[in-house]
Amino acid sequence: MIGDGLMTSRMRRGEMTLGEKLWQMSWSLILLIGALTGIGVIMLYSAANGSMDPWASRHIMRFGVGLVLLVVIAMIDIRQWMRYAYWLYALAFVLLVAVEVKGTIGMGAQRWIDLGVVQLQPSELMKVTLVLALARFFHGADLQDVGRPLFLIVPALLALAPVALVLKQPDLGTALMLLAGGGVLFFAAGVRLWLFGLVVVAGLGTIPVAWQFLHDYQKNRVLTFINPERDPLGAGYHILQSKIALGSGGLTGKGFLQGTQSHLNFLPEKQTDFIFVMLAEEFGMLAGMGLLFLYVLVLAYGLAIALRARNHFGRLVAIGMIVTFFLYVFINIAMVMGLIPVVGVPLPFVSYGGTAMLTLMIAFGLLMSVWVHRDVQIGRRGAYDDG
Amino acid sequence: MIPTLFRRQKDRAPFLYPGAEIGALPGDRPRQPARVQLSVEGQAKAAVEVGRNRLAITAAMFAIAFCVIAGRLVDLMALNGGEAAARAAQAGPVAEAVVHRADIVDRNGVVLATNLPTAHLYADAQAVLDPDEAARRLLDVLPDLDYATTRKRLASGRRFIYLRRHLTPTQQDAVLRLGLPGLEFEPAERRVYPQGHLAAHVLGATDVDNRGIAGIERAFHDRLNADMRPVRLSLDVRVQHAVRDVLAEAVDRFSAIAGVGLVMDVKTGELLAMVSLPDYAPEAYGHAPADARFNRATLGVYEMGSTFKLLNTALGMEVGGFRPTDGFDATKPLRMAGFTINDYHAEARWLTVAEILVHSSNIGSAQMALKVGGPAQKAFLDRLGLLSPLSIELPEAGAPLYPEPWRPINTVTISYGHGVAVTPVHLANAIAPLVNGGEYRPATLLRQDPDAPPPGRRVLAPATAQAMRGLMRMVVTEGTGGKADVPGYLVGGKTGTAEKSGDGGYRRKALMPSFVAAFPMDNPRYVVLAMLDEPQGIKETHGFATAGWNAAPTVGAIIARVAPILGVRPRGPAPDPTTEVRLATAAGGGTGGRDRAPQ
Repeated sequence: MIGDGLMTSRMRRGEMTLGEKLWQMSWSLILLIGALTGIGVIMLYSAANGSMDPWASRHIMRFGVGLVLLVVIAMIDIRQWMRYAYWLYALAFVLLVAVEVKGTIGMGAQRWIDLGVVQLQPSELMKVTLVLALARFFHGADLQDVGRPLFLIVPALLALAPVALVLKQPDLGTALMLLAGGGVLFFAAGVRLWLFGLVVVAGLGTIPVAWQFLHDYQKNRVLTFINPERDPLGAGYHILQSKIALGSGGLTGKGFLQGTQSHLNFLPEKQTDFIFVMLAEEFGMLAGMGLLFLYVLVLAYGLAIALRARNHFGRLVAIGMIVTFFLYVFINIAMVMGLIPVVGVPLPFVSYGGTAMLTLMIAFGLLMSVWVHRDVQIGRRGAYDDG
Repeated sequence: MIPTLFRRQKDRAPFLYPGAEIGALPGDRPRQPARVQLSVEGQAKAAVEVGRNRLAITAAMFAIAFCVIAGRLVDLMALNGGEAAARAAQAGPVAEAVVHRADIVDRNGVVLATNLPTAHLYADAQAVLDPDEAARRLLDVLPDLDYATTRKRLASGRRFIYLRRHLTPTQQDAVLRLGLPGLEFEPAERRVYPQGHLAAHVLGATDVDNRGIAGIERAFHDRLNADMRPVRLSLDVRVQHAVRDVLAEAVDRFSAIAGVGLVMDVKTGELLAMVSLPDYAPEAYGHAPADARFNRATLGVYEMGSTFKLLNTALGMEVGGFRPTDGFDATKPLRMAGFTINDYHAEARWLTVAEILVHSSNIGSAQMALKVGGPAQKAFLDRLGLLSPLSIELPEAGAPLYPEPWRPINTVTISYGHGVAVTPVHLANAIAPLVNGGEYRPATLLRQDPDAPPPGRRVLAPATAQAMRGLMRMVVTEGTGGKADVPGYLVGGKTGTAEKSGDGGYRRKALMPSFVAAFPMDNPRYVVLAMLDEPQGIKETHGFATAGWNAAPTVGAIIARVAPILGVRPRGPAPDPTTEVRLATAAGGGTGGRDRAPQ
């Protein structure tokens, strides 16, 4: 008991050796992430018609690199993350502005900064840093503070400024993810419900105005969502082919490498956004359910970590990260099944793509840092003023 | 797995909700006297309460979202979801209805055009009791009708007047349920094209009375109505889909106005795929713009540019008796009749026949053609069908444009593909004998019996055709066609970048690049052609818009996609048919050409 007590108080102050921190990590969560990546590798192998190149091998490599990054981030003290939260946010914001000014034009939209080795997508970075910044802001706030609408102006600006920039790129999907992720943090911090109601009403009111500012292809996607048969060979083609693939998969699927929709290229972007459909076509509904279950497990881990964290900052960061993760999963799967309009969002750990893998690994690194430093106490004012 | 997350904690201290430690810290027993005020403690508790509730609500929303997704998954994959597409994919083929126009199917029997039974609604106006009421109730079930017009027709007193054509069975049922006297149905059928745009320009279209007005529908109109056996085309939907997919991507990527892509079986003359973009939905032919209805593959005639040098080389070897190693003077531009003939990739030296093709030398080609002579050139092109209207089953068959009289300057320009305009199918059809051993068979869109291929007409000596294989492969391995290569499939071909004519001259910026290829070159079976209309230079092509940068990789992408479907097995790294030619070039060059060590 004494030893335990000592350990707890040391943990409360965050005095842990590197070895202790490694011991504290939730390796079962990492195993879970690894399993998801494994599924991704199998599907990417199939997407390349039974070849490790070009996707599966690089997917494994990226996972390896990402895992190291995750562990490093998890080792860093949560109070350090809190201390630099605003700076990281500012950095991501500056990069976001930089894309606006001199970004590489890719796929018709300005989203990347070419660093030579990798192409950096600041909007992805923003998903993480926005959570950090909002968590830091609300960490120092009590219920009375968040009850005052004026108090919320600063965090609202923190959230809306990047949203506006991302919208201008234009990247509707990421903008909505930032908005939703930020919104959940406001919610978790205890912002009054009537305020949310007000925002929703105001949002609905601006829809007719916003419609004018949407690009033609975005309008098309929304209209096609409302009526997919409107243009079955144009904008609705992807969703139609996706549904055909799902319908033909049945309970147990057509078998590994046997999916005709995907292998004959009727299915678009099968290695990225539509990889779930490929899985469902080849391995059937049961496999699709299995994958959903794995995602639910990861979310349960995240919620448990949020519930268990003793410091408000960590709890908010954990919530922000799992909400980001949830949005990836939900938007992607709902999109390929025609529940929401076509938005280019990858399936976490399964879809091919370096940027999403990087973002997710950073997010899970932070989640892990929250878990490792779950007993650390942080005072209201700042990172190290020993509460 | 989740319990392990908590176990370590449980051993040490009782579980606490987030924030509860502010009230009672587990390591602090016995508790210190409260240093905080009661109101603050109460407030902290409220905060904990709110935080916990909100976390629970968030979790509940996750749960709901996942239930929705899972439900939808079951719905789509197991219960058929009420989604026509998913349901159709599960149900497989459906029973056929009794129809009066035959289906059109691809070579494997996949339906390209078929019929849906519908009903025309007409009125026997003399039997209508109350036109006002009948029109009003009819509009309830057919809201797209116009009230005034319908009322007028119902009150017209005529024994037969159409109210609306092509009702679906559901609509027909709804009208029947109205129980209105004087409303009658005439059985009808409507042409549908399950593959949509896929083979639009081949199939054509029908009008509202199911009369063929374009394409196969028009060419075989009588046959389709007389004999219920399906018309079986030479197309293969899998190949057609791949070609259209790749071509559409290229047109989009290079911002081209239009594109043509085709795959032809050189042993039978069958077209396995033929795509002309932009295209249209056959059901909505009348609403498609004229540009989309224009079949560029068979009706449009174009100066094909340097791809004609393949024909010129064959002409030189077949009629002129040249060997691939014979040299021609390409040291300086050629002046003739006020024109100057330049080379795009000028080598400014003597070139062999093989090098003229590989470096795409206009000067060398012109020298060869001049030596063979205009009449022989004209006769040769005529033998390959390039001077007669396209012989194909479509009504949209273009007639070539060629000079009359055929002057020496024409001989020169035609040697490198300017001055004669033909359709892309013409060109593919003329290239086929160059690689199939020398036999010409007219292109066809109907499936041929694989055991009894149509007899061919010999137009080339087998030796010439054999040499052409090696030369075409060399263009890809060493010349301008490198980006068309697909490992293992021994692609051979030739680039061509024609300048579009307009306003009394050629427009240097308006290009029509094309690439015509055959594969596998050790025993060529298929000719593949891609042509783009005014593609733009992009960053990846360093701003170039010539054929080597856009048409060639398009053909390569097509071959990579269709070769496995067509059952062509990839070859190992050796041997390579260019070796023979290369040896000959190196040994007998003698023209100051670059040295190539025999391998």
